[in-house]
Amino acid sequence: MSSAIEVKDLYVQYKTKKGEKLDAVKGLTFDVKQGEIVGFLGPNGAGKSSTLKALMGFVEAKSGEATIFGETAGTPDARKRIGYLPEVAMYYPFLTPMETLTMYGELQGMRGKLLRNEIEDLLEVVGIAHAKNKLNRSMSKGMLQRVGIAQSLLGNPELLVLDEVTSGLDPVGRKELRNILKKRQEQGTTLFFSSHELAEVDMLCDRILLIHKGKFVEERDMHELKATLRNFYVTYRGDASMLGLTDAWNENPDGTKTARFEAKDGLVSAITRLQEKGGQILDVVSQEGSLEDYFIDTVEAAA
Amino acid sequence: MSKVGTFLATSSVAVAAVMGASTGSIRDEVNPPIKLVGLEAHDSHAAASILGQFRTSASSWLFLHADLYLHNGVEMRPLTDDEIKRGRKGVGSNPNEQKLHDDAKIVTVVPSARDDFRGIFGDVERTTTSYKDMTGHSHNKPTDSLPLFRLMTLLDPQFVQGWTTGSYIMLWDKSEDGFHKALAFLQEGLKHNPKSIDILTEIAASYLKERNGARDFDSAIPYLRRARTVAAENFEHLSEEEREATLKNYRRLAVSLRELQLLGEERAVVIEGRKFFPEDIPLDRFWRVLNGEIVSDAEINPPSVIKLVPGGTKPASEIESKDAQQDSHQEEAPVRVKVRFI
Amino acid sequence: MNFPAYRALARCVVLESLRRKDLWVVAILGFVILLASSTLGFFGFKGLEIFAKDMAVTVLGMFSTIIAILTSCRLVPDEVKNRTLYPLLARPITRLDLLVGKLIGAVVVTWISFLMLAALTALALTIFHVKFELIMVQYLLAKMLGLVVVCGFSMAFSVYMTPSASATVAFLVAFGAPMVTRGLVLAAAGNPSLTPICKIINTVLPQTSLFDLGGRAVYLGWGLVPVWVMGFLFAYGLCYSGAMLFVSWLKFRRQAV
Repeated sequence: MSSAIEVKDLYVQYKTKKGEKLDAVKGLTFDVKQGEIVGFLGPNGAGKSSTLKALMGFVEAKSGEATIFGETAGTPDARKRIGYLPEVAMYYPFLTPMETLTMYGELQGMRGKLLRNEIEDLLEVVGIAHAKNKLNRSMSKGMLQRVGIAQSLLGNPELLVLDEVTSGLDPVGRKELRNILKKRQEQGTTLFFSSHELAEVDMLCDRILLIHKGKFVEERDMHELKATLRNFYVTYRGDASMLGLTDAWNENPDGTKTARFEAKDGLVSAITRLQEKGGQILDVVSQEGSLEDYFIDTVEAAA
Repeated sequence: MSKVGTFLATSSVAVAAVMGASTGSIRDEVNPPIKLVGLEAHDSHAAASILGQFRTSASSWLFLHADLYLHNGVEMRPLTDDEIKRGRKGVGSNPNEQKLHDDAKIVTVVPSARDDFRGIFGDVERTTTSYKDMTGHSHNKPTDSLPLFRLMTLLDPQFVQGWTTGSYIMLWDKSEDGFHKALAFLQEGLKHNPKSIDILTEIAASYLKERNGARDFDSAIPYLRRARTVAAENFEHLSEEEREATLKNYRRLAVSLRELQLLGEERAVVIEGRKFFPEDIPLDRFWRVLNGEIVSDAEINPPSVIKLVPGGTKPASEIESKDAQQDSHQEEAPVRVKVRFI
Repeated sequence: MNFPAYRALARCVVLESLRRKDLWVVAILGFVILLASSTLGFFGFKGLEIFAKDMAVTVLGMFSTIIAILTSCRLVPDEVKNRTLYPLLARPITRLDLLVGKLIGAVVVTWISFLMLAALTALALTIFHVKFELIMVQYLLAKMLGLVVVCGFSMAFSVYMTPSASATVAFLVAFGAPMVTRGLVLAAAGNPSLTPICKIINTVLPQTSLFDLGGRAVYLGWGLVPVWVMGFLFAYGLCYSGAMLFVSWLKFRRQAV
């Protein structure tokens, strides 16, 4: 599968107001395959937005390479295939959503009835068709975020770059957005987004990229990570020695014991042993691990 | 280095301290107290002051535009001292016209092609702006600009120059109607500026201007007296221009009183005038005539009496040169004076 | 040349300005002028035709310049401040396209204000029975071209400075450039060795005074301006604002946003 985004040894540097140079991204390398949904994670100040800005051409990379579908990132040709949603979406307060989207559509090279129809459809999809002729200034933050989502979807882009995608949306809005994005992915759109919301990442992503202090930390396949983080528990009545465990068990107040296993194989063999040694199995639980714990642990380890 | 730094810092502090301590003594020189002559109490109120600022600016703008009217939109400027030193001459005006201002010292603001380095930019500007070669130029009728003076005095009734110059332009009309209009205009100005020496002397000057072969001393004298009183009360606070007007007022009043044979009052006026202007030759001459030191049948023109040209538009050089000629002439010889008015 | 993008960007600037009611200020000013003129007639002032025309061109020139500066100076900084720049720059347009579109928008807004004010003052002038002459058309055309220059340098300043600083400098340049030119002419006449440097400064300065045909429109007896001069003004306006666009782009093309 060919790459939608390819980043090689990317450095992004800013000058502070005092004239000091500040490295926001330090030698980042990664790629995003076409059709993937990739989450871009990292704590505040990790360099997520700077990387996205470099991909969009808002800031110039100090060195390194970034391409979008083989085109140099930041060029009009590259941007032609991208839909972008900024972190804090602000839209012209004295325009209506209809006019706002018409302008963006025209800048995208769309025209006439085709554009109008697409805008009508998108406003319907993001749920603000009823407010299409209201001024942006009269809208709530959540509604404005929907305008932003609609503008990012204009022209059916092959790649969606979303910065803090669910910011400003209520739980219902988040769910709707997830559905929209999933649908887009099914249609072949690549999604690359940064987020603080680990639940969103969990529900949306195929893969995550973790960065910290401008440096790449690790990338994980989401299914594999989830499997890694999953724990299995068995609660039984009997001696601890029945399972031959030393640490990974707790004695409950009622005298029963609960043992934890990181892999399914361990659980199966534990059940077999308990049965052989006459232990009484009370409960067996499979529990997903915390992405948050993983995130914190990994970032702390990288610090 | 650090010693030098310490020395400089200490010196600076010392100098600052001395300057601070001495501000009381130099304050009046640096920032002279605001003169309240002619300034009504309500004008010192903040809101009135801001409004006043606007009115004054608008009036000044209109006053400047009156000059544009005279030149049909061609913007003129006086020659700089440097240009005069370099021997540059003004554009001059039509010799058959009554002089309005010193055309020998003015040139167009947009330079002529000869004086302009800008090439095509200069050529285009001379085409797009109201520019023409003003050598020996004529003026539009000054009376065309009268509405501006009415407007500027309406906007800012305290704008004395508007009243005096406006009346001067009205007097351009030599008819009786012109005289009455000018007088009414000045009277209105006096209502708003009862202590304006300029307006008082201009009213008097209007009466003293020859009409139907005579001058109206009886009507002029009350205004000259009033101007004298105002000036004497505030002499220390008068501006340079007001002092000049005051001097003319003493001369005019003395001559007018002599004409009506009110010699006692003339003596008092001349004494007071000499107190304020001890160097003035005409006042000295009046004093000597009053004392019989010189014979009173020598013929001279009454000094400045018919000089009606107010500050802004008077042909200064012409008047000054006449005065100078007159003064040098008087210093040299004739001791017989006769003040003769028809 | 990305004309559809220019049109889209310019339309956005115009719609925003119209709805922000910036132009209402102009309409109110025009109304005040109208009212003031009527008042003068009420007070019985006659013979003020020239004054009325003078006033009209002064007010027109001054307020249209103010609108041009205030509109142009905030175009780019406002986009950055309000973060509306990101979705714009995410589109397949160059930064030069963005500047051109914005500048066209500012010019159109300025022209609309100018023509609105001109219409209102023309109405006011009828009170003074001022005849409409062809030179007035030339005056309006030249002024509109001059406003393009003002918009150009105002936008260029705003890319390099804060909005308030750029507005201040733009005002100084717009109203002070003719004075500087006069000073240069005097300086060169006084000291011919200064002529080359005066020429350079004069070339860099916007020649805003060339676009002011007010004097000819106000006072009587001045003829029409030749066509070649109007052509020169058009070419100069285009070149100067083009140069200012280039200067803006030099900074903006690599500016981190």
